[in-house]
Amino acid sequence: MDLHNQSQNQFWSLLAKKMSKEATTEELQELHSILLNNPNLHHQADMLAEMWQQFDKNAPGNEAAYMRHVMRYKDEFFVKENSEETLIEETLFEEKQSLIRSIFKRKRFAILSIIVLLVLAAGSVYFLSNKKTEAIASEAISSVATKNGNRTNIVLPDGSQVWLNAGSNLDYNNSHFNKDIREVSLNGEAFFDVVKNSEKPFIIHTKKMDIKVLGTSFNVRSYSDEKFAEAALIRGSLEVTLKDRDQKIILKPNEKISVANEEPKTETKPEKVNILRPDPTHIPQIVVNEIKPSPKYNIIGEIAWTQNKLYFEDENFENIAHLMERWFGKKVTIANESLKSVHYTGNFENETMEEVLSYLKLSKSFNFRIGTDNIVIY
Amino acid sequence: MDRPEDFIRISELIANDDQHAYRQLFIQFYNKLARFVMGFTKNKELTEEIVSDVFINVWRRRKNIEEIKNLKLYLYVSAKNITFNYLKKLHRENLTDLDSVEIEPEDPFADPGAALITREMNLKLKTAINALPPRCKLIYTLIKEDGLTYKQTAQLLGISESTVDNQLSIALKKISSAIRYTFRHN
Repeated sequence: MDLHNQSQNQFWSLLAKKMSKEATTEELQELHSILLNNPNLHHQADMLAEMWQQFDKNAPGNEAAYMRHVMRYKDEFFVKENSEETLIEETLFEEKQSLIRSIFKRKRFAILSIIVLLVLAAGSVYFLSNKKTEAIASEAISSVATKNGNRTNIVLPDGSQVWLNAGSNLDYNNSHFNKDIREVSLNGEAFFDVVKNSEKPFIIHTKKMDIKVLGTSFNVRSYSDEKFAEAALIRGSLEVTLKDRDQKIILKPNEKISVANEEPKTETKPEKVNILRPDPTHIPQIVVNEIKPSPKYNIIGEIAWTQNKLYFEDENFENIAHLMERWFGKKVTIANESLKSVHYTGNFENETMEEVLSYLKLSKSFNFRIGTDNIVIY
Repeated sequence: MDRPEDFIRISELIANDDQHAYRQLFIQFYNKLARFVMGFTKNKELTEEIVSDVFINVWRRRKNIEEIKNLKLYLYVSAKNITFNYLKKLHRENLTDLDSVEIEPEDPFADPGAALITREMNLKLKTAINALPPRCKLIYTLIKEDGLTYKQTAQLLGISESTVDNQLSIALKKISSAIRYTFRHN
């Protein structure tokens, strides 16, 4: 290695800071210049960075540990109040416990965990009407919805994580999820980090596409009021089934597929189409593109929102207005038609709506008026 | 869920007796805290008891949970304090030394099939990580896998931030030499 000892130590320190997000801008620049002068360090730095990003968010065992924890401190979680609900829940809890204990002696903990979890999930109302039911099966649809201006993070029963963007909803059937397959329905935009389980494929149903994966992370965007629905793959592999064509497309990492939401009126019969490369002369039905990080901001546009960033690149104002409407939860109207086709690029993190608009104004001027729950641009 | 606003949201829910939020917190941190505690106790049953204590304390004081400035650091500090108290009771004070801690980090590539990594390289990395000195391995694990900041790690272990910086640099240097070795022999 060409570096002498001191700067070598400095290199590892800077790399550690970069990977743990502790580095200042100056430190990042310093690291960059060391790497430029020492190309032999690139391989190690890349490999370490790759390794650093790997983590197993949901190693098995913690669900069972939670159930043991709840049982250890049962009195604190199943409070003996005069409430009918809690009493019923507790009675059932005890009944199940004794029943199972008598049947399965050894495997008690594991099986009990599963049943108690279902009991908690299904809720007490259900038991009022089905007290004697052995098998706990209910149409327990879990639905998570975000309003405009809100985003949320969900952990699914299999440990997979979902970040749900504004104005979206995600549904899944609590009693069937994770049985043979893992199925959810999405309307809107979400980023999925799916826990690998090759025996139980994970399927996302959207209006235009069904997306099947085994374990991977990717972004799905399927707002019914937008021209295109998209799936962007960050790592792993992903199979997209186009619903109205019965056509399957496999995405590779760093690829995204865009599917037109509106069928052209002239087309009478859905037929298989070739995947087209972007062509400025017409809007294709299906496009597969490479995902490219923005060179200016060094972020991936498709998933910027998961990092709390409002990002758009060379986008027309009409679409930006739409994006801001969801992001800030305020109705945006562009009163001046000619403004709608003006293009802007921007990357915002904590800015208010007013600050964002004031910034955009700098490159191509317009006026705006902010009301309590709406904004007019003119 | 690892951003400050996520912790604020989950704290609010727990303060309002939300058991689902509590469960989410438990499930997210159980394995991490257990690994940390296990490094000191080296006993599975005792570890489970200690981590269970950490969480039940959170539940018991949930009405005041929003006073906790940094819930994540709080969980680790609480785990450390309870562990040290247990070990003191068992007259094993000397085992609370950072240089005798035996921590087991996760495999470098949990899913080697998905990454562009050979099985051989994965094994080399794992061996290199396991061969790190105890204190160095602990700091590496807390930062890389538990996602603590330098400052939090320093506060938790009662050491300076520059020690954290040094130890982590040493860890990376040693781990990377394992890769260099593989590279040369390919």
